[in-house]
Amino acid sequence: MNRIESAFKNKKAFIPFITAGYPNINKTEDFIYKMVSAGADLIEIGIPFSDPLAEGPVIQESSQKALEAGTNLDNIFELVKKVRKTVTIPLVFMTYINPVFSYGYDNFFKQCSLIGIDGIIIPDLPFEEKNEISDYAKKYDVKIISLIAPTSEQRIEEIAKDAEGFLYIVSSMGVTGVRNEIKTDLKSILASVKNTTSVPAAIGFGIHSPEQAKEMSKISNGVIVGSAIIKIIKQYGPDADKYIYDYVKSMKGAMN
Amino acid sequence: MTKIKICGLFREEDIDFVNEAKPDYIGFVFAKSHRQVSKETATKLKNKLDKNILSVGVFVNENINKIAEICNENIIDFVQLHGDEDDKYINDLKKVCNKKIIKAIKVKNGEDIIRWRNCQADLLMFDAGMGEGKTFDWSVLKNFIRPYFLAGGINENNIEEALNLNPFCIDVSSGVETNKVKDKNKILNIVRRIKMSNTRFGMYGGQYVPETLMNEIKNLEKQYEYYKNNPEFIKELNDLLKNYAGRPSLLYYAKNMTKDLGGAKIYLKREDLNHTGSHKINNVLGQVLLAKKMGKTRVIAETGAGQHGVATATAAALLGLECEIFMGEEDTKRQALNVYRMKLLGAKVHSVTSGTRVLKDAVNETMREWSNRVNDTHYVLGSVMGPHPFPTIVRDFQSVISKEAKQQILEYEKKLPYAVIACVGGGSNSMGMFYNFIEEKGVKLIGCEAAGKGLNTDKHAASIAKGKIGIFHGMKSYFCQDKYGQIAEVYSISAGLDYPGIGPEHAYLHDTGRAEYVPVTDEEAVSAFEYIAKTEGIICAIESAHAVAYARKIAPKIDKNESIIVCLSGRGDKDVAAIARYRGEKIYE
Repeated sequence: MNRIESAFKNKKAFIPFITAGYPNINKTEDFIYKMVSAGADLIEIGIPFSDPLAEGPVIQESSQKALEAGTNLDNIFELVKKVRKTVTIPLVFMTYINPVFSYGYDNFFKQCSLIGIDGIIIPDLPFEEKNEISDYAKKYDVKIISLIAPTSEQRIEEIAKDAEGFLYIVSSMGVTGVRNEIKTDLKSILASVKNTTSVPAAIGFGIHSPEQAKEMSKISNGVIVGSAIIKIIKQYGPDADKYIYDYVKSMKGAMN
Repeated sequence: MTKIKICGLFREEDIDFVNEAKPDYIGFVFAKSHRQVSKETATKLKNKLDKNILSVGVFVNENINKIAEICNENIIDFVQLHGDEDDKYINDLKKVCNKKIIKAIKVKNGEDIIRWRNCQADLLMFDAGMGEGKTFDWSVLKNFIRPYFLAGGINENNIEEALNLNPFCIDVSSGVETNKVKDKNKILNIVRRIKMSNTRFGMYGGQYVPETLMNEIKNLEKQYEYYKNNPEFIKELNDLLKNYAGRPSLLYYAKNMTKDLGGAKIYLKREDLNHTGSHKINNVLGQVLLAKKMGKTRVIAETGAGQHGVATATAAALLGLECEIFMGEEDTKRQALNVYRMKLLGAKVHSVTSGTRVLKDAVNETMREWSNRVNDTHYVLGSVMGPHPFPTIVRDFQSVISKEAKQQILEYEKKLPYAVIACVGGGSNSMGMFYNFIEEKGVKLIGCEAAGKGLNTDKHAASIAKGKIGIFHGMKSYFCQDKYGQIAEVYSISAGLDYPGIGPEHAYLHDTGRAEYVPVTDEEAVSAFEYIAKTEGIICAIESAHAVAYARKIAPKIDKNESIIVCLSGRGDKDVAAIARYRGEKIYE
């Protein structure tokens, strides 16, 4: 069993997201340890990109700040390498296709495999363009996590059929960011997914409260939270450790 | 949009392969062949076949009633006649069968093509033989107008060449077999290659956008394919171009400039005289009309200097659609008058405060807004960029520039020009200026990139000269970026050229050597702006002045009997204050 499978085995997975290098790369390391000890089942590490098309203002700002702080792929690889010495839960990258393309696909996925990255999420690489990286991801055993959106309709089956790792179910239209209400008919989307594949499905976009986490985990295999965590870092900066720990603990607690 | 047919399926696993690969058509051979199927087998296979794949029955000199029987039981969706059937046979078959008919023609030479061009069948297929895997001389198909299937010996090695002919559909059989049976990987590969080529120019282009937008851009692709050939749509658009935008635009012989430079005759394609003052209106009228036909009630668009925003707001006002424009905060300050113009036209203008607060960020924000609301909203992209089908749609709507210019120059000069020159940001006026000259190999195509304060500084926007291949804003192309693939902040005195990338078709024209891209600095452009004002009495846009600057450079070296066409993409009123400031005058709008 690979690490991603075990994250979903007999439980609902809580998946926090963190922008690497926000506010600086050393704090990212500390925050990851806090999230692990608070019960995170899988962590999404965001490789900042200058123009994150799928992100709302909160993650956009964190990406910009991280880049200004000198974050780049090489120091992110170093960070993961260090973290992997003690962290055993799955770690996946979330980024945009250009930084990966620019680094060279073979080189990028080779590094991922050397440092223990389990999967990758690339919002601007839809099903039709997956071939761009699939050979390299396969060669180095990095799972490509596909996204399903509220508008996917007949594409759900096509995407789910090809799914590996887990499926990222986008809860709402638009970009990432905290929402008070999720209007999409997620139940029927998840039913189509379950009809097609046994790969687990986690819901993300807009989720921030323990109540939402509880509700979403009832209909899926896990919950992904990004902007709410970045907001905590924005508020507390380098002293966010304790607040991140408490938040992850409360979210995970609500899902059990 | 070339389709793909996989012919000669006879095993159950063949159906599994195509259900996975999803070609547009598959074929059952009912005639004598090692791939022959009986009616019973075909029924069984058809039941197993993905409902979105259409099946074609292949017959050779078959009894008409037998074909009708198979059609009436809906085992096949198309009839393919591969023998000596003539028009009489086809007409007789039409009386008893309700399916569309494809007539396959064995091609030995060009006469075979001419002989069959008026054939009564719904579609034609050109083949070398009957499934033996041979090819024929495809050059005879050049300029053939009716849609046709191309068959005979097509495989992974010659597929690109086949696609270059732009057939309606490519038919493969032995090319996807190993040891006389269908090979799953070969099928998957060829279907993938054809589907990918439909969204690309060589390796450039593609559809790199979030999943939320995928169904919408596929819908746009489908709707555009329909409307671009729809006589009513074409009529309405042409009427708007003529009676509202003021087309055709003049091809003006710049006598004074020609005399002064002492070389090639200089013609100016006067897009600056269009309604709203630039070429942008050509694309916008097309897209807003298309949006309306698609049932959209709202359009959104990005704008840099404000030309595309003003044009979109204009078309939306005319056609009665709601309009919102996204403009970088920096640009709203630099172009405050255009912001007010858009408001006058009824548009809502959003000042974009993310990222570097210029054109690139305005595109990001418009894409984000589109993914928030796709159902009633069309994104009117302003250049030959973004995900497929935008580069094609914008190019087609802008190609009116070269369509007119080609007719006009042939009328005036009785021969084609030596070169056509246009400025390039994303590349819409240049693509429009190049398009109908691409096939005229003798005509040089020259695009002028913004070199800003010089290519040896970091203050430029020259994607071809200084950028590298990347994937951004939905497309693979050339982008200015750092070594980690972060998109660079670019600079040009001209807000319309201030974009870090270039459209994918330009990238392709560059790589294949068909077009040439040259850098022009701020200083050269400003000097050309002043020059054309004084010599010809024309105040052109600072963007267009980049093309004028390069024409000044090369015209004296070209023979007097030759001509060059410079695209004056827009008028320069918007730039007057900025140029004054560049020259040290304290003038503000």
